[in-house]
Amino acid sequence: MNPKNNLLIGAVIAVVVVMSYDVGVDPIAFVEGLPNLGIVLKEMTEFESEHWGTAFWAMLETIEMAFIGTILGVVISLPLSIFAARNVSSKYVYGPLRALLAATRTFPSILWAILFVIVVGLGSFAGILAITLYTIGFISKLQYESIEAIDYDPVEATTAIGLSKIQLIRYVIIPESAPHLLSQILYMFDYNVRQTSILGIVGAGGIGFYIINYIKFFEYGKAAVFMLVVLIAVLAIDWASVKIRDRYIMKAQHGQQVKVVKN
Amino acid sequence: MDMSKTASFSSIATLSIIQMRNVSASYDSKSFVLKNVSMNVKRGTNYAIVGASGSGKSTLLKLMNGMMIPSGGVVLYNYQKPDLKNRQYRKSISKIGYISQTLGLVKNSSVLDNVMIGGLPRLSFFNSFFKLFPKEELEHAHKVLKLVGLDEKSNRKVHMLSGGEKRRVAIARALMQKPDILLADEIVSELDSVTAREIMDVIKDAQKKFNLTAIMIHHDMNLALEYANRVAVIKDGDKVLEIGVEGEQIIDFQTGNLTQEEILEMYNEP
Ligand SMILES: Nc1ncnc2c1ncn2[C@@H]1O[C@H](COP(=O)(O)OP(=O)(O)OP(=O)(O)O)[C@@H](O)[C@H]1O
Ligand SMILES: [Mg+2]
Repeated sequence: MNPKNNLLIGAVIAVVVVMSYDVGVDPIAFVEGLPNLGIVLKEMTEFESEHWGTAFWAMLETIEMAFIGTILGVVISLPLSIFAARNVSSKYVYGPLRALLAATRTFPSILWAILFVIVVGLGSFAGILAITLYTIGFISKLQYESIEAIDYDPVEATTAIGLSKIQLIRYVIIPESAPHLLSQILYMFDYNVRQTSILGIVGAGGIGFYIINYIKFFEYGKAAVFMLVVLIAVLAIDWASVKIRDRYIMKAQHGQQVKVVKN
Repeated sequence: MDMSKTASFSSIATLSIIQMRNVSASYDSKSFVLKNVSMNVKRGTNYAIVGASGSGKSTLLKLMNGMMIPSGGVVLYNYQKPDLKNRQYRKSISKIGYISQTLGLVKNSSVLDNVMIGGLPRLSFFNSFFKLFPKEELEHAHKVLKLVGLDEKSNRKVHMLSGGEKRRVAIARALMQKPDILLADEIVSELDSVTAREIMDVIKDAQKKFNLTAIMIHHDMNLALEYANRVAVIKDGDKVLEIGVEGEQIIDFQTGNLTQEEILEMYNEP
């Protein structure tokens, strides 16, 4: 290793140490506190089994919220992504729209949830709105990028046939940009379930409400039941989306050319 | 029978469909890829354009349907200037069946959906948006699919077809336009000679059936002489030869009287 690299590594370490001091990193507290973790973990294993039912229904509500938010978000994203694509739309439309979409992605959904709790009050509806908004920002971006990446060839050919703009979008742009959509939706739903699980912390519905409250009152055994249910649900959804992806997306791509990468 | 009608009908049959006068074209407004080309294509003609790679054949075809605007001279389709900015012309463009060198198919759509695209200019906004194809449009689609021999594969996605089958889809889409004229850019050049002739026969059938004018670009002079009744040769952006073929007879329209051998020889010269 040359001295330049050593200097760089030294500098990075120095910066980390200074910053840690600045924000109050305390390794001694961590070591001293480790026994506490042991206590919490021990209490967590003392499941209070009468809560399984409640946890199940709370998780179901969480999944429903995530599902509604994902679907609403995707439905709204599809037209927006067309207006935001540079190869379809005018710059007076896509410019402001892209800025707006970028803004919705700036904050995690939990911050949007706080805002919507103020607007529509406590409960799942605020959570659904937050998930919807975040999904719009995310899926729109993925979609307008895949619209911008489509082949120009069929666009030119159908212009020469005399298709209207709407027909072009309907018969060329959408079919050519849609293949990744299902996989994007699955990914988004997966992500949204995890996000929705914590929205309860700010009173926007879902299973997080129980988890945060039991932890607040040191009822780790109860909290653990709810956390375990979240874990099982997330793993199950993960497994299911892999299955769906294999079944539909692999099938859709079956027969497509295999690209040989040359070095 | 009204004689004047018959007379005007037969005169329409000999009217020009494409006219070019002293046309030049350029992509960068510095160098010209076409220089001073003139041609006149009468309705019902089976016109072939041959020439080496880069000689300007595709450019010539794009001038005919308005995908490109000439830098000099006049191009007329049906006695009007092809110009996509002109609303009147945009309506008539749906009658020009244009098959580009790259085909321009929607790869993720089915064969039938691709073919239906050719009929979209005839559909109402509502019907085309919700894919509510009228019965007669679907019937016509299946008719052209049968003609190109792809009716059994109408639900297949285009990316799962062979090269020859893709060309058949592009032909079917062009025929779905109910075109006056078919402009085809080297649709058989990359195929083996058996498949190429199969596809040329399909086009020949369609021409008879739908009373089509065809302007086709070819790489292979023999194929052009076999199927066309007019052949133009383009060399470095110039039309250097135009001949008519009637049976065994070759009629010359631009240079001195030549035998078929002499023409083939001339084309094969470097
Ligand atoms: N989009 C473009 N921009 C700039 N130059 C172009 C463009 N398209 C074609 N050209 C140039 O114009 C000339 C004629 O091209 P054209 O595509 O008309 O040739 P062609 O006869 O169809 O050739 P081929 O048989 O290889 O298809 C070529 O020198 C080419 O490099
Ligand atoms: Mg070409």
